[in-house]
Amino acid sequence: MFWTILKKEIATLKCSVLLVLLIFFTLFNSPVWAEPMADFIGQAGVLRISGGTAHIPVMKEVAKLIMQANPDIQISIAGGGSGAGIKQVGEGLVDIGNSGRRPTDNEIKKYGLGLNRWAFDGVGVIVNRDNRVQALTRAQLQDIFSGRLTNWQDVGGLDKEIAVFTRDEGSGTRKVFWKKALAKKVITNKALVVVSNGAMKAGVSHNPYAIGYVSVGYLDKSVAAVALDGVKPSLETVQKGEYTVVRGLYSNTKGTAAKGDREGLTKSFIDFLFSPTGREIISRKGLIPASR
Amino acid sequence: MKSHVKRQARGSRALFFSATVVGGVLTLSIFAFMVILGLPLFSTHSLTLLLTQKWAPDQGLYGIFSFICGTCAVVSLSLLVAFPLSLGNAILIHLIAPRRLARFLHQVVKMMTGIPTVIYGFVGIFFLVPLVREWFSRGSGMSILSAALLLALLISPTMILVFLESFAAIPVSHIRALEALGGTRRQKLVHVILPGARTGIMTGLLLASGRALGDTMIALMVAGNATAQPESLLDSVRTLTAHIALVMAADFDSIEFKTIFACGIILYLWTAILTLSLRHLHFNSTKPSHDQSF
Amino acid sequence: MTRVFDFLLYIFAWISGLILVGACGTFMVFLLTQGLPALSFDLIFGSTGMWDALLLKRVVSDGLLPAIVGTFLLVFLVLLTALPFGLGAGIYLAEYAGKRSKSFFSLIFDLLAGVPSIVIGLFGFSLTIFLHKHFTFLTPCLLISALALALLVLPYLIRSTQMALEELPTSLRLTAAALGADQATTIRFVLLPQAAAGIFSGIILAIGRAAEDTAVIMLTGVVVSAGIPRSLFNSYEALPFYIYYMASQFSDQQELQQGFGAALILLAICGLLFTLAWLIRKKITARLLYHH
Repeated sequence: MFWTILKKEIATLKCSVLLVLLIFFTLFNSPVWAEPMADFIGQAGVLRISGGTAHIPVMKEVAKLIMQANPDIQISIAGGGSGAGIKQVGEGLVDIGNSGRRPTDNEIKKYGLGLNRWAFDGVGVIVNRDNRVQALTRAQLQDIFSGRLTNWQDVGGLDKEIAVFTRDEGSGTRKVFWKKALAKKVITNKALVVVSNGAMKAGVSHNPYAIGYVSVGYLDKSVAAVALDGVKPSLETVQKGEYTVVRGLYSNTKGTAAKGDREGLTKSFIDFLFSPTGREIISRKGLIPASR
Repeated sequence: MKSHVKRQARGSRALFFSATVVGGVLTLSIFAFMVILGLPLFSTHSLTLLLTQKWAPDQGLYGIFSFICGTCAVVSLSLLVAFPLSLGNAILIHLIAPRRLARFLHQVVKMMTGIPTVIYGFVGIFFLVPLVREWFSRGSGMSILSAALLLALLISPTMILVFLESFAAIPVSHIRALEALGGTRRQKLVHVILPGARTGIMTGLLLASGRALGDTMIALMVAGNATAQPESLLDSVRTLTAHIALVMAADFDSIEFKTIFACGIILYLWTAILTLSLRHLHFNSTKPSHDQSF
Repeated sequence: MTRVFDFLLYIFAWISGLILVGACGTFMVFLLTQGLPALSFDLIFGSTGMWDALLLKRVVSDGLLPAIVGTFLLVFLVLLTALPFGLGAGIYLAEYAGKRSKSFFSLIFDLLAGVPSIVIGLFGFSLTIFLHKHFTFLTPCLLISALALALLVLPYLIRSTQMALEELPTSLRLTAAALGADQATTIRFVLLPQAAAGIFSGIILAIGRAAEDTAVIMLTGVVVSAGIPRSLFNSYEALPFYIYYMASQFSDQQELQQGFGAALILLAICGLLFTLAWLIRKKITARLLYHH
């Protein structure tokens, strides 16, 4: 009985405090939107996105555009990391599960995932802006992350203890970094653990003795990118193939992309990522747009 | 007519009773759920392995012992800081400060109970962590010490209020008697107030430790969440609660994910023991149990 | 000797007081100096105009409005679900329960009061995943968060109701009985109105608890970006989670400022609730004095 009351409250909910104001001003016209949004006209509903945190800046920007063009569409964006994204889309908890690594064949088969790789991205090592050390060799990097080198002095910096930042085990960024930059060497368990690319950047930018790694899309002047074996991670070096710690960014859906059996909103959203406007946003957020 | 009234009376009683039972069943089902969902873990990983191994999922090791140590370290250090602080404040308010100042302090303490924990964590990250890092010029500042100091600030108000309540409950006649004998403040405190408030002081400690144990946000935000066994107060640790929050996002069929139910069980049992001790403490007294809120 | 002890005691107490007030003061000053400049219209409505935002015409994607609305909706739903059970169980324990069932249920609810909020969040999450297998539309959402939070505040409601009823003078019950009122009538028309203030202050404390809790909601459906939820089954934003998110992963100075602004707003909401509870409690004390 209680539940029926609750369900009735859904209606009351919508028209809570804002109702009074709504009545007076319903005559505003929604703006007319340019062609890229044509796909979303007439659509309504909720699109749930979760997973990889390297994706979030692009997701937020795209969602903002879509929701502003069409207020009937609601897009929710959560982080959680690649592992969570793949799992959640597989179980049907979200419509799009982002991952910063290719889902394993096992995962693809188990859930019948459709992969959409819409950008390339590098994983770059970062230190605090004030750190003198802004170039490392792979061997030095591996020694720092394994905990063998613990003082910045050992690599030409100040006599200060190194604060190693890493990501949680569900992170695609961690997996790629571990495989391609650390050659699967151990990461020290003294490392501080953060849950997203954003948290990594914020953590390193606030700690003068920190070292960590983020998606190239997150690089800006708040942190210093570290050259690895002489190559600075950046949009250009990734694009030219000089920087090798690279990965694709995937937005996975349930059901294969080839068959086109994604549902309306999900399909439109993914298509938008590959559209000229979508590609423009992706470049603006510091990633390299990929074609289908 | 009369039977109608009776039926109504019985009806309302049944309604109230069922509300109570629903609450009770939910409480117990929390534990049941943790156990049921945690069981698959114990079939592949024995309890001893879980409690002794280190945490290294890359190598197939899923031990949570270091998180238990981390929790113990953070909780006990916060109590170590908060207990004397609270006792001092309670004495100050009850015995020493002038009346108006005492009332003001009492208000401040009450107000402090209403500060959201996430705000403690927020200020901790931007204010305390850099301070700790620079003062000790060791480690990252995200440490047992930072988390414990913030937790101490979080639990002190609760403790002070409980202490004050128990100080106030001491019969005035005892104090008057001592005053008549020309007793000093110290004598008053040592011979009358502290012994009389023993139960209250224990209650405050137990409640505060429960609060510190159960808090997630402060440890998650400022303790650094490293998985290593802590060796110094400046080491970064992961508490059981923070582990749940962190691994939450992992694939929920993985072994990593199942370990959080083990953490849940440990936390549930740990707080249950604290609650039972509190009850035991008050077993003989007729006083209602203390309000744990705010 | 005694005098030395007395003096030390004096010093110890004053230092403790200074530390506490100093810590609390530093805390407030830091928050105010950082947060006050951030408080503005734009903080709440972002680049969206106020009317458009309030009318749900356009989506606020860079302001606090969705988080504030989310928190209020959450609190409202928590009350809606927890109140019937909290009052019912409180009345039962105070008025009907026999000695043994009273002691049994008090123990249970004391246990519930002690359960860490993250464990309750985990319970809510696993229950959702479990139910999702049968009801696919059910994912972590506003409703689930509200139900989990309801469980969190339930013991506060029960205890405050029970204590408010038990504190009433026996004469009240005797008078009602002498007038021929049965128990249900006495409770409904005599005891509950008299205990209303006590119950009400318990409710406000429960609201405060629901508004500030972060651990429960971060496991049960709160997300970084969702807009204002349109149904109970949507993801949502909330103030405390927003603060947590900004603290660990702000991307620029402006976002950090928003975090401080959000912290101030949440603090103000909790402070307001707290003052309200305090005023009501003061009123009861006055009335009890009057009764005696």
